[in-house]
Amino acid sequence: MSRTTLIIRNDIKRRLKAPMATILFLIIPLAMTAVIGMVFDPGADNRTKLPPIRLLVVDNDKDLAAKFLLGALDQKELKDMFQVTLTDAAAGEALMRKGKASAMLVIPERFSDDLADQKPTALEVVRNPGEEFLPGVAEEFAATLAVGFSGLAQVFAGELKVIRSVRNLSLESVTIADMTPFLETARAKIIALKTYLSPMLLSVAATTTKKPGQENRPSGFNIFSYIFPGMLIMFLLFIVEPSLREIQNERADGKTRRMMFSPLTGRELVTARIFSGWLLGVLVSLLAMAAGTLLFGIDWGNLLLQLALVAAACFCCAALFAMLNAFFRNKNQAGAFASPIILVFSAFGGSMLPLEQLPAGMRWIGGFTVNHWFITGCRKIMDGHAPVASLAVLAAAGLFFAAIAMVALPRRLDA
Amino acid sequence: MQQKILEIKNLSKSYGETVALANFSLDLGKGEVLGLLGPNGAGKTTLISILSGTLRGFSGGVAFKGQDLFADRNLRNLIGIVPQEMAFYEELNAMENLMFWGGLYAIPEKELKKRAQELLTVVELGARAREPIKKFSGGMKRRLNIAIGLIHKPELLLLDEPTVGIDVQAKVSILDIIRDVGRQGTAVVFTTHQLAEVEQACSRIAIMDKGTILAQGTLAELIRIVGEKEIVEVSGEFSADAFSAIIRQSDGNGMEILSVADNQAHLAFADSQAIPAMMQHLFGHHLPISDLKIKSPNLEAVFLKMTGRSLRD
Repeated sequence: MSRTTLIIRNDIKRRLKAPMATILFLIIPLAMTAVIGMVFDPGADNRTKLPPIRLLVVDNDKDLAAKFLLGALDQKELKDMFQVTLTDAAAGEALMRKGKASAMLVIPERFSDDLADQKPTALEVVRNPGEEFLPGVAEEFAATLAVGFSGLAQVFAGELKVIRSVRNLSLESVTIADMTPFLETARAKIIALKTYLSPMLLSVAATTTKKPGQENRPSGFNIFSYIFPGMLIMFLLFIVEPSLREIQNERADGKTRRMMFSPLTGRELVTARIFSGWLLGVLVSLLAMAAGTLLFGIDWGNLLLQLALVAAACFCCAALFAMLNAFFRNKNQAGAFASPIILVFSAFGGSMLPLEQLPAGMRWIGGFTVNHWFITGCRKIMDGHAPVASLAVLAAAGLFFAAIAMVALPRRLDA
Repeated sequence: MQQKILEIKNLSKSYGETVALANFSLDLGKGEVLGLLGPNGAGKTTLISILSGTLRGFSGGVAFKGQDLFADRNLRNLIGIVPQEMAFYEELNAMENLMFWGGLYAIPEKELKKRAQELLTVVELGARAREPIKKFSGGMKRRLNIAIGLIHKPELLLLDEPTVGIDVQAKVSILDIIRDVGRQGTAVVFTTHQLAEVEQACSRIAIMDKGTILAQGTLAELIRIVGEKEIVEVSGEFSADAFSAIIRQSDGNGMEILSVADNQAHLAFADSQAIPAMMQHLFGHHLPISDLKIKSPNLEAVFLKMTGRSLRD
């Protein structure tokens, strides 16, 4: 067994023998995600509101059901959530390209007729690829509409036909007596209604305006999958950091002196510590992600891509702290600086506040943090895309930090 | 002298204006146990740190088995180090620690395991090899610290105050181990400021102060420096100046002042018959003396003679 492997094995063994700190750092992000998720879940109550979703609506039907749908969007609650702009398909796509809208809802031709005739039809939601989750909310809303309209269309099939037949008549010619049996039937149906009927008449077809040939994976909005990656990377930093600070502790308690008397070189020690921090980070991340799926129903998307992203992020974290420890004079300095650095990274990188809600200046600074690239990469994968930029930045930064650490840190250890 | 293992020549190191080592020179033979005795600030830890390779910016040379210790990193692998701190992993048990530290020397696992078991027996931890170290007493931890320093069968063992903070029984046990290590052919350098420890464990003693060696040799050789004199320790509520003034008024009669400090003084008498007359002289001047001790020549007297102060100062 090589000396590097021996140290990595020893580090992991020691962490397993005294696992409380690691377990705590595994539990805390889960607990915080649960609490924040419950507080911020838009479905929980109206205390916290999402930013208004800029929704374009293309009405190709212009008939009763479409008017009913647009009327619904004009109700107070939905008005707070959606900023609706009526447009046509071409203008809508142009606005989407300019990033002026989160999503575009297309009401197809003969939408009202198809519903009345009990024929399947589809509302189309076109998502803006430049935004992370607001299009998902719009899609979720359209899916809810689809369920509601399908149910209504099936339950009130007869009444819809009557309404369609009389919609061109003058309302003055219809008397209360004429309407009474119709209203009585409708009332009885509402009372008798227990469940939705199936099959669904109305469905939602979601697309994202992307480069041609790219597949899109529709996904619903899950507040926990929005919060958890940020929490995970913040606590990953807390988990990985002690593995590298160990170098300072060992300098203080004589272990380094003892190690440097063995054939072990300073570089081997730094390499081992980076990789033990990395390995621990990856293992804890995988556990945390599995727990996230079990507890919060988080769909991580392509697991291989997630694994690659986690591996790159953990490497970057470990190399970053290895580099920083080359500049810390002693364990007290390392201990004093580590937590503030992690907290600043987390604040600017989107672990504490959603990236979209950070001011532009903070977002720019956030671009220099591991947190930012991990969170955006995670969301890309959840949205069905490869996080190429995140992987490249995290790997390159990790290599850069590791290179500095390999030069500077052994000088402190090996005389 | 036996085959030379360590040769230190004109080693000097300063921290700004403070001289830690001044042209320090020392030789050490195979199997020798050298006690480096000196008060705090004598330069013992500086010397060990330089030998350990953790302190730079010094002048002079250190040869190990005839080769420059700092030119060939592999030479260091033949040295074992026992730092003053407990340099092992408390999360692991004693056996796991020995396997880890031995593993760094690429000793084959089977051989390493055998060596670890042997060492645990030597340091009397064989029965507790698999117990968590957190349950160990201070003395047990110190013994494990030494065992780790010996895992790769070093030719030179450096021990930096290995008996700090432990009880008398544990000290005796550690000193026995150090003596045995020397008997088996390993050269040992052992720093301490405890006179009794070097008397008990070392084949050679070097008295160190202000970065230099004041005297060195076996215990008997060092005691000869003082000569066959009786040492009188005088304690009481007096100042060093008052004591010196009174002493100067006596005829001395072969008496030598070893040290004078407030409340305590040490005098050496070639003729023990002169002691009562001197005491009479002191009492005659109403010096408030509370205690008198007459001792045979010992290392403490040597230290007092060489440094003019006791190790406690």
